[in-house]
Amino acid sequence: MNVFQNFKTGIVVFAITLLYTNIAQASRIENPCANHEPFKVYCDLCGCSTSSGSFGFGTLSNANFVGVRYIYQNFESRNGIFENSPVSKETFNTYQLWAQIPINNSFYVSANLPYQDLTRNFNNAKENINGLGDASLIGWYKLPFYKKQKEDKVDFNAEREASGHSLQFGLGIKLPTGKFEESLADNINPGFQVGTGSVDGIFSLGYNYGGEKYGVNTLFSYYLKGENKNDYQFGNQFSYATNLYRAFATEKMNIMPFVGVSGDVYKKITQYDETLEDTDGNILNASFGSELAIDKFIFGASYTLPISQSLFGDNVESKQRVSVYVNFAL
Amino acid sequence: MKFLKYTFALLACAAITSCSSDDDNNNSEDLTGQTGELILKFDNGVGDQDFIFGTTYSKSNDESFQLDNLKYIISNVQFTDSDGNIFMYPVEDNVFIVDETDGNNAGEIYITLNDIDAANYVSVSFGVGIDQDRFALGADGQGDFLDEASEEGMMWSWASGYKFIRLDGTFSTTTLTNEPLNVHMGSVGTALDNYREVTLSFPNTVLVRETTSPEVHIKADIAKVFDGTTTANFADGYDQVHTDVNETPIIADNINAMFTVHHVHND
Repeated sequence: MNVFQNFKTGIVVFAITLLYTNIAQASRIENPCANHEPFKVYCDLCGCSTSSGSFGFGTLSNANFVGVRYIYQNFESRNGIFENSPVSKETFNTYQLWAQIPINNSFYVSANLPYQDLTRNFNNAKENINGLGDASLIGWYKLPFYKKQKEDKVDFNAEREASGHSLQFGLGIKLPTGKFEESLADNINPGFQVGTGSVDGIFSLGYNYGGEKYGVNTLFSYYLKGENKNDYQFGNQFSYATNLYRAFATEKMNIMPFVGVSGDVYKKITQYDETLEDTDGNILNASFGSELAIDKFIFGASYTLPISQSLFGDNVESKQRVSVYVNFAL
Repeated sequence: MKFLKYTFALLACAAITSCSSDDDNNNSEDLTGQTGELILKFDNGVGDQDFIFGTTYSKSNDESFQLDNLKYIISNVQFTDSDGNIFMYPVEDNVFIVDETDGNNAGEIYITLNDIDAANYVSVSFGVGIDQDRFALGADGQGDFLDEASEEGMMWSWASGYKFIRLDGTFSTTTLTNEPLNVHMGSVGTALDNYREVTLSFPNTVLVRETTSPEVHIKADIAKVFDGTTTANFADGYDQVHTDVNETPIIADNINAMFTVHHVHND
């Protein structure tokens, strides 16, 4: 019965997501890119990537949940071609509905629907864009590993003992649910967007270990980026993240502090079938934080700092990232 | 688990279609009769620094300079497309003054060119200054530009002609401090021709279409005026460059080599 209910929930979420994207697509067709808005390189990195693998798709213990996550990030980008060109400061607030929903014992789906609220400050002039970001949906197959059974012992128990190790294979899609907004017409680069406008394929491999005291959560994702309507194609992206946590269990709650590293590697952007210079890059981050599980609720917080980065010809600099979330375990 | 199969089939389809290259073929596009806009963005710098009035920039020979005026004339802008065809901007409108004071807050000076034939352009050519053909049209043949150049201080007199570049400020050497610096280089009537043309290829193809407005970001390295093909030192008399038959061609050649296309935007 329980499985069946979970299954139903899965269908509902999936259907809603599909329905939503259909609506989004339809409304786009009505207004077929009449505004030839310059896309900015920065978008892929800053605003739109908050659903990417380096941010994590779920909780430390890989539990099923529905929840909300808030991500605060800030960046500095150079508006010009010179070393002393003026710098604009960007603040990105992302609010996400996210979930990991089981379908059966082996399969689950993770979904992410962000709302973006982006502000940039340049020469004391503030610009703000906000709206729905790019949603993503990933289907997962979980391959658990079991403890070896002793050969000389005949075990009538059908339930094998889990080893705590598991692999996850994910196949997903990122949808262009984020709109492109006409930025304030200024002579400087118009900046940032809430969506990439492209349909991207997501291929993920995860490794999980959850022991009694320690756990590891590792995720590799590759994004095959599609071309959007402006013949603009962001470079394919490789994301990775690994977190090591320690579990402290009390009667009432479970505390899991963690440390981790994460990063992204971006290939060059292609426009009209030509690659653009200085549009590739990479970033390596360190993070620490904690999860706190009380009953069915999982509270999480993390702080992330870049260790090394070289983004878009060093024109963009990531400063820091704060993330907090509240999940309800399913 | 039919649903599951469908889910995965759907995701797989989506992932695969998202990766297939779009088959919009630019070659088969019919561009006949189509015209569009193209913007040249001139961005003055000194080496890797953005040019700013009043900032002291050092050069070779332990000399330095700072400017309060920086202008030059660009003319005869033409573009070459991927098939080798040349589009020349209409002669009567094909002359511009690039004035640093016209820059936006990032110091970029825009020259907007309209009614460019739609094509895939690979390079731009332009002259610095006024060529002898245009000068030979006489004062009446200059149109509005004569007044514009006079107002901008880019003329000596009709007989002597235009100042192709104008740098005003101060300079210092090992022995002098904050002495006046004035580089007013041009052709001298018909006696001395300092007009030079430069061709710059684009790092990416510039697609001019009815609906687009591509930008070509041209970086001008002002350091090259003095430390260019030939080194011009203030101590040797390059603090005051006007109509000298020896000095002006050296500045003209140096200026010719100060332009590069940093990048293009096809938006």
